[in-house]
Amino acid sequence: MRLPGWASLALSSLVISNCLSAEVRPRYGGTLTIELSTVWNKLDPGGVNSALSVPITETLVRVTSNGEVEPVLALAWQHDPDFKRWRFSLRPNATFHDGEALTAATAAPSLLAALKPKYGEVSIEAGGQAIVVQADREMPGLLEELALPRSAIFRRSDANPLIGTGPFRITAWEPGRRLNVAAFDNYWGGRPFLDAIEIEFGSGHGRADLFDIPLGPARRILPEGLATWSSAPRTLLAITSTNTDVMLLQALALVVDRAPIANVLAQHKAETAFGLLPQWLSGYAFLFDSTPDVVRAKQLVSALRSGPISLSYPANDLFLRSVAERIALNGRDAGITIQPTTAGNANLRLVEWPLESSDAADELSRIALELGAADRTGQMDPAKPETLYQLERSLLDDHRIIPLLHLRQTYAIAPRVHFQPSSSGTFALHLEDAWIQP
Amino acid sequence: MSFRTKIFLSITGTVVLAVWIVAAVVSTLVTQSFERRDAQRTASLVNQLQREFDRRGKDVARRVEAVADSDVVQRLAVNLVGQAAGGQFDASQSFTEAQTLAQEQSLDFLELVGPDAAIISSAEWPARFGYKEDWLAQPVDWKAQGVFLKKEDLADGSALGLITVRSVTAGDKTVYVAGGQRLDKEFLDSLPATDGVRLQLYRNFEPLASPEILGSKLAADLVQDVRQQPRELTRVNDAATITAIPLRGRDKQLLAILLIENSRAELASLKRYIQGTAGAAGGGCVLLGLLLSFWTASRVTRPLRDLAGSVREVAVGKWDTRANVGSSDEVGQLARDFNGMTEQLVEQRDRMIQAERVAAWRELARRLAHELKNPLFPLQITIENLQRSRDSSPAEFDEVFRESTTTLLAELGHLKTIVGRFSDFAKMPTPQLEPVDMNQLAREVIQLFEAQLQAPGRSRVETKLNLASDAGEVPADPEQLRRALRNLVLNALDAMPQGGTLSIRTARHDGKVALEVSDTGEGLTPEECDRLFTPYYTTKQHGTGLGLAIVQSVVSDHKGTISVHSEPNKGTTFRIELKASA
Repeated sequence: MRLPGWASLALSSLVISNCLSAEVRPRYGGTLTIELSTVWNKLDPGGVNSALSVPITETLVRVTSNGEVEPVLALAWQHDPDFKRWRFSLRPNATFHDGEALTAATAAPSLLAALKPKYGEVSIEAGGQAIVVQADREMPGLLEELALPRSAIFRRSDANPLIGTGPFRITAWEPGRRLNVAAFDNYWGGRPFLDAIEIEFGSGHGRADLFDIPLGPARRILPEGLATWSSAPRTLLAITSTNTDVMLLQALALVVDRAPIANVLAQHKAETAFGLLPQWLSGYAFLFDSTPDVVRAKQLVSALRSGPISLSYPANDLFLRSVAERIALNGRDAGITIQPTTAGNANLRLVEWPLESSDAADELSRIALELGAADRTGQMDPAKPETLYQLERSLLDDHRIIPLLHLRQTYAIAPRVHFQPSSSGTFALHLEDAWIQP
Repeated sequence: MSFRTKIFLSITGTVVLAVWIVAAVVSTLVTQSFERRDAQRTASLVNQLQREFDRRGKDVARRVEAVADSDVVQRLAVNLVGQAAGGQFDASQSFTEAQTLAQEQSLDFLELVGPDAAIISSAEWPARFGYKEDWLAQPVDWKAQGVFLKKEDLADGSALGLITVRSVTAGDKTVYVAGGQRLDKEFLDSLPATDGVRLQLYRNFEPLASPEILGSKLAADLVQDVRQQPRELTRVNDAATITAIPLRGRDKQLLAILLIENSRAELASLKRYIQGTAGAAGGGCVLLGLLLSFWTASRVTRPLRDLAGSVREVAVGKWDTRANVGSSDEVGQLARDFNGMTEQLVEQRDRMIQAERVAAWRELARRLAHELKNPLFPLQITIENLQRSRDSSPAEFDEVFRESTTTLLAELGHLKTIVGRFSDFAKMPTPQLEPVDMNQLAREVIQLFEAQLQAPGRSRVETKLNLASDAGEVPADPEQLRRALRNLVLNALDAMPQGGTLSIRTARHDGKVALEVSDTGEGLTPEECDRLFTPYYTTKQHGTGLGLAIVQSVVSDHKGTISVHSEPNKGTTFRIELKASA
């Protein structure tokens, strides 16, 4: 689908002014070092919520920043009128990192595994470079689904956990510690600028060419000259509950002041969230905006006579702990006693739900599924944004979830690192576009 | 209780009392000494704590002053001025400053507060940024205010802090720096330690001051009392002395109570030691006292016991007994005096016996003279009459001779009777014992006197026999007993010349048989009763004074007793008691 929020996405994203400058010509060579505070234990495509895109695998198609679908591994495609049968023609000159050619037969297994969870019984016919996907149900959003990282085409072997067709191939992989990739010389799109990329996990030295800036109240003094890049909001931070009085949750939603949390605790690396999807994704998020109403919240609480309730947050997450404490403080203004805790059996939970795609309907469906309201997704027509709004409104009116923030991911980038302008926007930072100035 | 026992108990009691008094006095003195030392130590500790509080307060003030003088706070104030001038103040840039500064200055509490009293940054509760601290907006000279106690609200409850405030002014904007240190168990633990002293802090905003939390009921009660009426209080029990000091905030509100618990374990230990030592020493002294008092009592009372033994010997008639004079003290003198007294008594007794013998002989002589003189006088007159008749009336001499010889024979017979009586008394034979029925004996004796009692011209004497059927027999010489009873009956009849009632009663009790002979005569005086059994004593005109003496002799020879009871004008009763036959 074409996303109406892409315009706002462009505005809301920060621009890497010096990195994306075209004044210097790109150069080949060099190793990019990366430090990440997060830890990757597995290398499943789509299994990591990171705005940092390490292009080891590729999908058949991709969605550009203006919402258009571009060919990647699939050069062309057709579908029948009722979107039940799709035919893709694969790129003839693409090969996997181990030298095996990309064919319909080699692509079919991973494609089938990616589509089954969403479309159920799907059959794939592979012949030469042509691959046919057929299902009993309509698949109008198949292209957007195939553009998701989880639909990437890859293979595994004993020696290599992830063999893709992307511009970088894995040279070393130590789960939870480091990932090294090198330029894939036989990449169908041409060799990338960088010779190699070395990623160290769980490190916070700040000595690498590129490192992430975790969310949290601790303000980090960056070395002079470093640029920062922030992704579009790609994680929903919310309070969920299944066993708390609805009126109490309503009161809490009214009394929580999101702006200080976004501006101070998240250090501007987040946007206040009153809806489930960010503005750039849905385009109608502003319709949910509201201001704290302590008086109304007090009225609701006074009718309840509720005791203390607990709010859990993940242990060792200082940012979420500070958010929980702030919410407890806000709740106290309305007479709600909230005890932040790391225990799992709390009344309320502070959750982070990453957005996996730039498909609003798809993300909303996933949230509805998490909230136990999957049956309502049938009322949604991706072509009609108002149906998305109605679904989101109904989910919010259930008062089982209180959206708080939409979080960005922010990275610091050394001055010698440059990025070629990308067509994929600010949803991810594409390392295949990076080059290093000597 | 013997004299020795009394002395023994007295000495023992004295020793025990003395030991107890010494132990009590020592214990009291030690306790008082400890109380004074306890009070001094508590006062010293309070002063020390006060100094430590002052020192900590100055330290807190210095640290907060350093924060206020830091570039961060100065820059913050300048930024606030810039914000007022239309610039943008980004709270996110200052959000963590308080935590950093608090860490640098080792402060538990630190808040940077803007001119509008809104928290810019809080170290103790970071999430509280943006909230108001209205108490800081008051027009107060915070530097002059110094350090004060304050209840600090935290995310997980409340805490007590030593707080001070400094203000930093840039332009017309003021940034308040409120910081301090937590006043809690760790703070108390960091104070200079004193052995035996425990510090506790009860924070008045805590829900309960239970004995379990405070360690003792005494502490809990003390806290309750101070909460009700805040003042310094001290309470004592066996385990500890606890002083409660109320700690107040700026507004004089009671925020906490500092409990200084001074252990009395040392005192209790010393008291136990003293009591144990006193007990052991007392026990030893008591034991020693027992032995000493036993020995002393024995030593002191031995001469007395010897003397008492001598007295008993004398009492049973051993007049030659002499007390042992073993010492020259009072007891020895007493023994000497006793010996002197017994010697004198023996001499007096001998003299008395001699005198009595003389008196008896004199009485005997008098009686004999009296008894013999009466017949001799008629003999003399008769003989003289014969002589005169032969000389003056020879014709009638024969007649006179016959008459005179008759008289002479009669009087000589009288003399013979008198001599016989005396002879009988002198020759009282040894009783030949055989069972004698006392009732039968009484009847026989009365029967002997029947004729005499019924003789014409004699005043009527009524006889009454009141004989107990169970009187039984006694081992006695029947002749002597009959003679004694006859004498008593004769005595009774002589006592009733005008007639009366003669009663004879027998009875048995306690293994004895009693026989009483009563008359209704004029009775006897007590003096007469005392001398009644003395030989040759009589109250009658013609008595020999041997009748009752014979009776007493017979009764005495039968191992019996005789007593007399007499009332003037009512009569006299003689009572003989003899041991009954088995």
